[in-house]
Amino acid sequence: MADVESVINVRGLVKRFGSVRALDGLDLTVRSGEVHGFLGPNGAGKSTTIRSLLGLLRTEAGTAEVFGLDPWRDPVDIHRRLAYVPGDVSLWPNLSGGETIDLLLRMRGVQADRSRRADLLERFDLDPTKKGRAYSKGNRQKVALVAAFAAPIDLLVLDEPTSGLDPLMEQVFNECLAEHKEAGTTVLLSSHILSEVELLADRVTIIRGGRAVETGTLAELRHLRRNRIQAELDKPPSDLSALPGVHDLSVEGHHLSCTVDADGLSPLLEALTAAGVRSLTSTPPTLEELFLDLYRDTP
Amino acid sequence: MSLQVTGTVGLARFQLRRDRILASLWGLVLLAVVYASASATNGLYPTDADRVEAARLINASPAAVALYGPILDVHSLGELAMTKTTVTYALFLMVLAMVLVRRHTRVEEESGRTELVSAGRVGRRAPLVSAVVESGVVVTIISALAGLCSVAGGLPAAGSLVFAASWWGSGMVGVGVAAVACQVSASARTCGAAGAAGLGVIFLLRAVGDVSESWLRWLSPLGWNTQLSAWSQPRWWVLLLYPVTAVALLVVALWLRDRRDLGAGLVAPRPGPAEGSPRLRDAGSLALRVYGPSLVGWSVAAAVCGVLFGSVVPSLGTLFDSATGQEMLRRLGGSGAVEDAMLAGIMSVVALILCGFTASVAAHAGSDEHDGRTEQVLATASPRGHTFTALLTLVLAATAWLLLVLGVAAAVGYGAQAGGFGDAAGRSLGAALAPLPAAWLLAALAILGLSLGDRWALLGWVLLAAFATVGIVGELLSLPDWVVGLSPFQHIAKVPSEPMAWGPAVVLTVLTALVSAVAWWAYRRRDIG
Repeated sequence: MADVESVINVRGLVKRFGSVRALDGLDLTVRSGEVHGFLGPNGAGKSTTIRSLLGLLRTEAGTAEVFGLDPWRDPVDIHRRLAYVPGDVSLWPNLSGGETIDLLLRMRGVQADRSRRADLLERFDLDPTKKGRAYSKGNRQKVALVAAFAAPIDLLVLDEPTSGLDPLMEQVFNECLAEHKEAGTTVLLSSHILSEVELLADRVTIIRGGRAVETGTLAELRHLRRNRIQAELDKPPSDLSALPGVHDLSVEGHHLSCTVDADGLSPLLEALTAAGVRSLTSTPPTLEELFLDLYRDTP
Repeated sequence: MSLQVTGTVGLARFQLRRDRILASLWGLVLLAVVYASASATNGLYPTDADRVEAARLINASPAAVALYGPILDVHSLGELAMTKTTVTYALFLMVLAMVLVRRHTRVEEESGRTELVSAGRVGRRAPLVSAVVESGVVVTIISALAGLCSVAGGLPAAGSLVFAASWWGSGMVGVGVAAVACQVSASARTCGAAGAAGLGVIFLLRAVGDVSESWLRWLSPLGWNTQLSAWSQPRWWVLLLYPVTAVALLVVALWLRDRRDLGAGLVAPRPGPAEGSPRLRDAGSLALRVYGPSLVGWSVAAAVCGVLFGSVVPSLGTLFDSATGQEMLRRLGGSGAVEDAMLAGIMSVVALILCGFTASVAAHAGSDEHDGRTEQVLATASPRGHTFTALLTLVLAATAWLLLVLGVAAAVGYGAQAGGFGDAAGRSLGAALAPLPAAWLLAALAILGLSLGDRWALLGWVLLAAFATVGIVGELLSLPDWVVGLSPFQHIAKVPSEPMAWGPAVVLTVLTALVSAVAWWAYRRRDIG
């Protein structure tokens, strides 16, 4: 049974393209009202997941539910309640940006609030009279973003939405996203850049090779990571490798460096104190390192 | 300043590689026509008297002169044999040049790939110059082989050489026209339309010039193909006109290229409306908006063809009832009265050409999907069925509309010449609308291609070319009946020569419905993008 609190519920989803398993038993849960960061390296299966959730792709195994509905069977009922911004926005060459915005909104079945639309155009600094072919990548993205943000919506599905935006526009995007979050909109925000989701995401899921490798709040994920310890000691320490949670140990004379799990920190410090500590640095894990490790094939 | 052509050779080789299949197939069809024309004629017209009669018949028929050009030396076997290839198939060589040049210049530019290439050690003019060189090589090879095919078919070597030179010349002018047309607009589709219009003008100037025997024919490179008089006493100096024209066009193209930015057209794009019209609200209105301008262009082309061909038909009369004349006109596409046969033949060819709109819609819908626009539409509350139905309805309705325009325009042209509209209207409309079930089937098959995946979106063009090919060379090459019969256009009645055959029409319409249903079934259950 689907969790009533979850807007998106994916279990064991499999999608093959020929012999390539793009999704290989993916699990993903997005709770109502949260901003869920969907992180992974290029080619991890983020866009494939999103297209499956939109009912554009037919999956082979597993279940996917959006608002408790099957995206392949009831795409339209789901689409009425969501707005989607693809990673690589392509516009109709002979339609102006303004026409495209209005078309996408009407096809979603909503009428744009004129003042809100005008406000968004101004904030994103977008000229709506240009033809589709004349927009740069960033401006094409803005057209899709204005269409997505211009009306209240239950779910925003954003696939690397800021990849073409300058830092100023990224800030506007973050503000808009925060406003929607405030209004209770659920957001699935896919990205391969950590800093993009760090600011706004309540929880993140990291996928690699078509399956989720980690999921949780950023604080929880940070906890997974070991601290790096560097110490100058009065005398060479006793054998520390037997201590639980100590890894990558190297001792050169009076100098020691190692990494240690959160649980192993206290016993290690006791052992070091016994050897007499002259200086000690403990570097907490940066999220960046954590993500780089998770992105690599061998975490 | 340097010539800005660094990298031309490398690019041209790469382009040749990309074109190896398209250019080979296109060339093979043209060469088959040349060989078949060359080898068939001697058997059909064994004596000089036969040839003179056949040639006089063609010269006396404004429709034949408009389509193929006149025969200057009525005793010449070569000129009679190459009636159709001298002008009409030379036009198809120009079209090939157009397709190749556009493919490697504006299409690449619009997609942004030229930008990628130009950032390398590649001169600013290299993409254009290499496309010209590459298509020039293709034209040269096909023309040379056409000369050989003509000799192999039993025609004199000297005439064949000059004939090949005329193909080469018109092909090179086609390259030049394409090079200029591809500078016009930022849109590859608009550039294609500009090029097609250019070739249309070249053909029309010659048709009008040849029919009225005026100086107008000297304005058209296709007119030179006839005036060159390749098979008797060639006017050698005419051969100079082609390279001079081609070079002049290339200079204009380079001049235009030097004065515009990469990716830009000649006119700065006009701003569009800041807000969408309330009518632009669903898949149907979007399809109309996207394909409407192109449909207007095709409608104009249908109307021009209709008036032009309609107006030459009545002047045929029934003066030439001799056995040879009947035989010849029967082979032109009909039986019975000469006018009716001509009308039926021309209308079925034009109807097939007008199916190009359908093929272009399917191909364009394929790129909509490939580029992700379809994905955006289908991520809204607009169901898949709407997008599919919009496309299918558009191609079926547009096919009927274009044939109707053709028929009405032909009735106007015919009636104006014949001095009465009642009879003309019925005959012209009948001739134009009889191929409708076949055209519908082609439309449904084009959409079926799209339904199989965006890779198959070109199926419409492939089938169009295949149906045209069996229609053209099927009889000349004595292909087996079942091969020729694969084209639905072979099963339609030659109205108004023959009474409307409702049986095949009903079968083709039912097939259209079946193919549409299969297409829908395939489209709703496949992945998008």
